[in-house]
Amino acid sequence: MASEDREKSELSVSRRAFLKGGAIATGALSAALIPAVGEAQLPDAVEPDPRHSNVALKVNGVAYRKDIPNHTTLLQFLREDLKLTGTKMGCDRLQCGACTVILNGRNVYSCTTLAVEVTGGEVLTVEGLAADDKLHPIQQAFIEHSGFQCGFCTPGQMMSTKVFLDRTPNPTEDQARLALSGNMCRCAAYKKILESVMAASRLMRA
Amino acid sequence: MAQQNTIAGGPLNVVGKRGPNIDAIERVTGRAKYTGDIDLPGMLVARVLRSTRPHANITGIDTSKAEAVPGVRAVITYRDAPKVMIFGSRQYALNDRVRFQGEAVAALAAVDAETADTAIKLIAVQYEPLPFVLDPEEALKPGAPQLFQDGNLEGQPRTLTRGDVEQGLRESDKVIERVYHCPTMWSGGMEPRACVAQWDGDHLTLWASTQAPFRVHGSLTAMFNVPDANVRVISSYVGGGFGTKSAPHTDEALAAMLARKARLPVKLQYTREEEILDSNTRFETRMYVRVGVKKDMTLHALDVKAYINQGAYHTRLGGLGTQSTHMYKSPNLRTVQYRVHTNVPNTGPTRGVGDPQETFAIESAMDEAAIEMGWDPMEFRLKNIKRNGDPIARGASGTEDGRLVAQVLDKCIQEGASRIQWNRRNAVAGSPTGPPTARGIGIACTERGGGAGLAGASVKVNLDGSAHVFFASTDIGQGSRTTLAMIASEVLGIPLSRFRTTAGDTEVAPYDGGSYGNRTLQGTGRAVEVAARACLQQILVAAGPMLNDAAPTDLEIRDSVIRVTADPSRQVKLAEVMQRRGRSVSGDGATAALQTGIDVERTSGAHFVEVEVDKETGKVHILKYISAHDVGRPINVTIVENQIEGGTIQGLALTQGEEMRFDERTGSCLTGSFVDLKPPTALDFDPRVIEAVIVPNEGTTGPFGGKGLGENPCHPGMAAVANAIYNAIGVRLREVPFTRAKILRALNEPRRE
Repeated sequence: MASEDREKSELSVSRRAFLKGGAIATGALSAALIPAVGEAQLPDAVEPDPRHSNVALKVNGVAYRKDIPNHTTLLQFLREDLKLTGTKMGCDRLQCGACTVILNGRNVYSCTTLAVEVTGGEVLTVEGLAADDKLHPIQQAFIEHSGFQCGFCTPGQMMSTKVFLDRTPNPTEDQARLALSGNMCRCAAYKKILESVMAASRLMRA
Repeated sequence: MAQQNTIAGGPLNVVGKRGPNIDAIERVTGRAKYTGDIDLPGMLVARVLRSTRPHANITGIDTSKAEAVPGVRAVITYRDAPKVMIFGSRQYALNDRVRFQGEAVAALAAVDAETADTAIKLIAVQYEPLPFVLDPEEALKPGAPQLFQDGNLEGQPRTLTRGDVEQGLRESDKVIERVYHCPTMWSGGMEPRACVAQWDGDHLTLWASTQAPFRVHGSLTAMFNVPDANVRVISSYVGGGFGTKSAPHTDEALAAMLARKARLPVKLQYTREEEILDSNTRFETRMYVRVGVKKDMTLHALDVKAYINQGAYHTRLGGLGTQSTHMYKSPNLRTVQYRVHTNVPNTGPTRGVGDPQETFAIESAMDEAAIEMGWDPMEFRLKNIKRNGDPIARGASGTEDGRLVAQVLDKCIQEGASRIQWNRRNAVAGSPTGPPTARGIGIACTERGGGAGLAGASVKVNLDGSAHVFFASTDIGQGSRTTLAMIASEVLGIPLSRFRTTAGDTEVAPYDGGSYGNRTLQGTGRAVEVAARACLQQILVAAGPMLNDAAPTDLEIRDSVIRVTADPSRQVKLAEVMQRRGRSVSGDGATAALQTGIDVERTSGAHFVEVEVDKETGKVHILKYISAHDVGRPINVTIVENQIEGGTIQGLALTQGEEMRFDERTGSCLTGSFVDLKPPTALDFDPRVIEAVIVPNEGTTGPFGGKGLGENPCHPGMAAVANAIYNAIGVRLREVPFTRAKILRALNEPRRE
């Protein structure tokens, strides 16, 4: 199921349009979104706008190139431009971790990372965690140990878990608590999250 | 109500097991669509302009500059707002008077966030400032600023009595008199409030992050004066509720108003600051408590006077809970609640509503009374708690017109005491002086009802034997998709893996009050059971002709195979029955009052905590925490544990942070971020020291004997920790939160002997 989803999310953007360049891609994406009433503002495809930048990012293995306003956060780029809504906005000021994604192997708060400052980077989001037909062991562990309640913080919890376990394959529970302390869970499912992380480490070692 | 707790007397196959949530894959792959993830063609982005004043008349609003910004599609002010109040509140969606800093004064919708952000700043508002008041007792004094024409007191003081409390206190051998305070506290979830509104002619579809779709539905049909059939509220995945999303709110009305004016779909997603300022927070309580006891260890009189700071508008959905009235046998009782409007933001139901605050006061006071008399606080509780057969009020009343059944609070206490090793506690409380660290153990009990109000659900079995549960309460993280499907799976003998659920949709599911107040499992769950039984009957009738005309009563179903009970070799697959029948099977279930006779079923629990207090730094370490709860029969053990563990940490969180503070000079909220509120992370409380204990029991009204649980684990934390701190260092804390500074100040206070 996860792999189908991955394909769908890839198919939902026009890869042909992206290859043609940022401004055109913006138009192609936005045309469907802008209502057919009033003065729909299509971006200027000719004049370069100093308030915009051309950003290239590889997200979940797919290369994207897009012209975006400089103030666009990585979170906005993922959610609004790429429609990858698995990554959540909880506070928008690096206080909760719901927006955590993996950027070049590090877990970062995408809400306070500008997309332009990480151009050329590689991003992994929750949508890219499962590979082919298989859930990632972290996903399996969070399912089996119910490492969530409402699920809103879960994508962020799992991305931090991945970075942690990639670096610390055989962790102690205290190391795991510290590693995930930047990811708030308001349901406070911390006991089951901790069990999930430890179970994931066993699955990944196996 | 007749109760059949097993299918045809056989063992339970699904209920009572451990297991993952049926929507777990959606939640761990990012596929679960929360309201903020919804993206509709042409959808506009909404922004809200908020009052900079805590109390003011609006003498003018100029929206012309905002309207002139290209891309702005609709701007609304109080002039656009229907004069219909939000359900459960005295608030209009927009008004020409504001009563708290942060209240919405105008809103707009634009083609994108940047345009909306630019335009909202261009709305000019003229305020005529009014004096404001933040403290509920100050607000009742003569000359205090008045929020409403009929004063700041909401209705009459709510008074419950039994016996004669003054005489009871006179007859007591010892009376203690104490004051306990809980401040306004934040209670939101990870997902800030969000809604998406779309009109099609005079039909409104509203996706909302709400716990109670039908309450929102009722609020909006009244506001827009349209038939019930014209409004559809959908609340599929909700990123936490904790009560703050259990009442209709202004955001839903604002989104709907903007979408109607713009004739385009509108998304309104709050920022975190907006969510903190303008949602429902936990209300401040100041409780004056008098406890009278007799030398024979009986509680003889309990007198409670509570001032409840409701904030600006909130009315119907708050107040104290039932800790004073329903937990202990006190022949003489009086509770008086003053529910007061002030210029702090809206408060409302939050996990436990007033019960955590009330538990803090009552369970601290019980401890203090027992210790004054030299009694073991646990023995004092065991002597005075209500037990099965004892008189108890059927509703929120002082009059004990019912009889308690299916209660195991005594067992919760005994089980918890055994696990914490209660005999390790200090027989005499520790001292503020002496060694730099000291340990202590505390207890607090709680109780609550569940399953109240109207519930409904429907179940459909498809031609291939797969099945669907539809319900209009919600899954806010408490796992109701899973537990409700497990109930239907148990009844129908269809494996859980063959089920899908549709949660929180007012158009496809029967009326249901929503997910709050321990009610989903017990109320909606019972409705699901009824609906599934209706399906089962149709299936067995259809199977009869395929099994030599066996009567339905002679058949049973398990693993999607229907067998003749007396001769299991005669069997037919469910899918074959369904295909022969040629049409799907549907059943509706509804429950009204679950408790109709004099029997009263409640849900109780006892918490025990061991702390270590560092007298030099004021730091309190939680060393061990036992949360022993009655849940009736657990439907899904994993989910129950998760609820107890999480609720316990939420209760602990109230001891250390989450206080909302306000500037007395300006009325502004000073705690508009997570950094200020400090909700716990994985490091604040070691989750490994929390032990969830499910005390065996079986309820009388819920499905398969299950009881609602969600609220209770959040109740006892403040009292249990305060009692443990006292046991450790001999210092009594009566004001939440127990900050290090407060503990150090208390340690340095001259002691009264």
